[in-house]
Amino acid sequence: MLWIALLPEPADASSPSSDALSGIASWALQFTPRVAILEAVALGLEVEASTRLFGGKRALLTRIREEAEQLGITRRARAPTSLAALALARSGISNGFAKPLAALLDSLPLECLTAASRHSAVLARLGCRTLGDVRRLPRGGMARRFDAALLESLDRAYGLRPDSYEWVSAPDTFEAILELMSRVETAPALLFGARRLLLQMSGWLSARRSGVTAFTLHWAHDAMRSRETGEGDALTVRTAQTTRNIEHLSRLLAEQLAKVSLEAPVGDLRLTADEVYPLIENSASLLSDPQENVETLALALERIAARLGPDRVRRPRLRADHRSEWMGWWQASEEPVPRQQPEPSPVPQPTFLLPEPLKLAVKANRPLYQGPLQLLVGPHRVEGGWWHRTGIGPDAQSLNVARDYWVALSAHAGVLWVFQTRLARDQGAWFLHGVFA
Amino acid sequence: MPALASIAPSPAPPPQRLDVWRADDLQPIDASTTASGWPELDAELPGRGWPRSCLVEVLGTQPSTAEFRLLGHALKSVSDSEGQVALVGPPKPVHAPGICQLGLDPRQIIWLEAQQPSERLWVTEQLIRSNAGGVVLAWLPQARADQIRRLQVAAQATDGLFFTWRPEAARHEASAAPLRVSVAMADPWTLEVHLVKRRRPVHTAPLLLRSIPTGLESVLAPRHLQPVHALPPVPAPAHAVDRAAPRARRRLVAVQ
Repeated sequence: MLWIALLPEPADASSPSSDALSGIASWALQFTPRVAILEAVALGLEVEASTRLFGGKRALLTRIREEAEQLGITRRARAPTSLAALALARSGISNGFAKPLAALLDSLPLECLTAASRHSAVLARLGCRTLGDVRRLPRGGMARRFDAALLESLDRAYGLRPDSYEWVSAPDTFEAILELMSRVETAPALLFGARRLLLQMSGWLSARRSGVTAFTLHWAHDAMRSRETGEGDALTVRTAQTTRNIEHLSRLLAEQLAKVSLEAPVGDLRLTADEVYPLIENSASLLSDPQENVETLALALERIAARLGPDRVRRPRLRADHRSEWMGWWQASEEPVPRQQPEPSPVPQPTFLLPEPLKLAVKANRPLYQGPLQLLVGPHRVEGGWWHRTGIGPDAQSLNVARDYWVALSAHAGVLWVFQTRLARDQGAWFLHGVFA
Repeated sequence: MPALASIAPSPAPPPQRLDVWRADDLQPIDASTTASGWPELDAELPGRGWPRSCLVEVLGTQPSTAEFRLLGHALKSVSDSEGQVALVGPPKPVHAPGICQLGLDPRQIIWLEAQQPSERLWVTEQLIRSNAGGVVLAWLPQARADQIRRLQVAAQATDGLFFTWRPEAARHEASAAPLRVSVAMADPWTLEVHLVKRRRPVHTAPLLLRSIPTGLESVLAPRHLQPVHALPPVPAPAHAVDRAAPRARRRLVAVQ
């Protein structure tokens, strides 16, 4: 058996709130289903069966240590029994496997074991200072003089009697609350606290084999706020793909928080998982897998979209139309792209298209763009579009075009796509529309 | 110099490391590359192609003149192998049908519109670090040498093709990019490519590469592809769109 006891601060003054403990418990459930709350002050994890899944005992312990430190838990210990692990955590010894368990426990003071500290006055008068002194007392006399709990917990700590616990189960919905240590005045600084909550959510999600597509960070304003400001506010973060990757979620949250300005200092944070879906995990592959690369790219694009705005990460769409402006368009990358798109036009199309055709000056019947243009191939007539209108009522505008396209050469600007069209009063005009680059 | 002449030239030991090479050597570089589409350019590039996991600088006098003509073949081969083609901050809006005519799959193309120099750099770095194995083509007109170095360090750790377009003026600045290519138009159908910097002997004579924009081969007759020296006089346009033309001709007749 490999028990890990995690003792959140503050353990001496007041016992940690049950909210904090259950939040940590939902984080811990990702490592093992055997999570128990020990004496309402600490958390015990039995991880013997999980070591192989997490890449060995050392890797698992390192991961638990790192994540526990991020959650603000510094006192922890591992031992063969739960009460021994708790006693060692209280006395600041982290490794309960360094020496035989009895030798380690014998030297600990009475306060480390709750049942013994309850009788510490009587035991001190009997001359007992350590758990070893108590253990050497005759068992018959102890059973008569003290309550049964002392002998039982002593036996359980030394591994003479089996532990039995009611295991913590993962709640159906996730909601975690964090009281900030100091008032926070800027939104990006909320991230430090929010990351703790995200860590708990990520643990809860992996215990349930799920991921989120939306989560909300609520914050409550400090009680000393001015009258006009409200109780608090919330920020919902959405992801395109179901995920529980803590780094990705916290980067997305950081990008969104950078745009928020707080109305008043914030005292409390609350995190809820809004949309939870089962997450199917891929097995690791021996060969390098291109699928994985696509996923990391999707995460990077989502991060970029969170900072620049979703409409600035774009994917092309093709439309069956003969007018260059309407032949293709770009949509936000988050929207789904159909598998089948119309074939690209058989007519040569430039690779860059100006947003608006640029009217060119004309000199001696020759259009000018960075010098005179040489018209090479043409005219290619593009006409029609009377059926295509924008606006309603008097603003309605027909998108009908009648253009003669030419491939033109410029000494400096390369191969261009220009057209000639008829304007009002029968005036002809030349426009630059694209570049074959 | 009798003393020097008496020293027999001893063959240098073969280099033990990949990043140490003999100065007259072009061939043995053990890095994966992607063909550029021109055998004569591949022959001059170390490793016979555009190097992967390495920042390639393309220097040009004017943006949006020859980017896809130079890199189109590499973009297509990445798209064919299911890699993503990311375009960061193109100087003009990219025309979706035109870029699909290069042979790219529309589902593999991403356009990231970034305006500020800092945005362009950030987006480029995120894409390089994402290790997506595709190709990133970023227009960085205002990048500084230290920023290029940062991108190159990121590129070394990941797999993919990374091109940055920079103005010709950057040619005289130091750059951490291991391959720098200057491209200009010798005539409309020829790209003049000069390898400003490469990890091999200095490249002296510029390469002249025949290049016709994709799609135009089908509409150009051989006489169009002749080098143009002087612009021939243009007759007044005689097609129906322009009504000014017939009147001009009538006036000429009247004068005669």
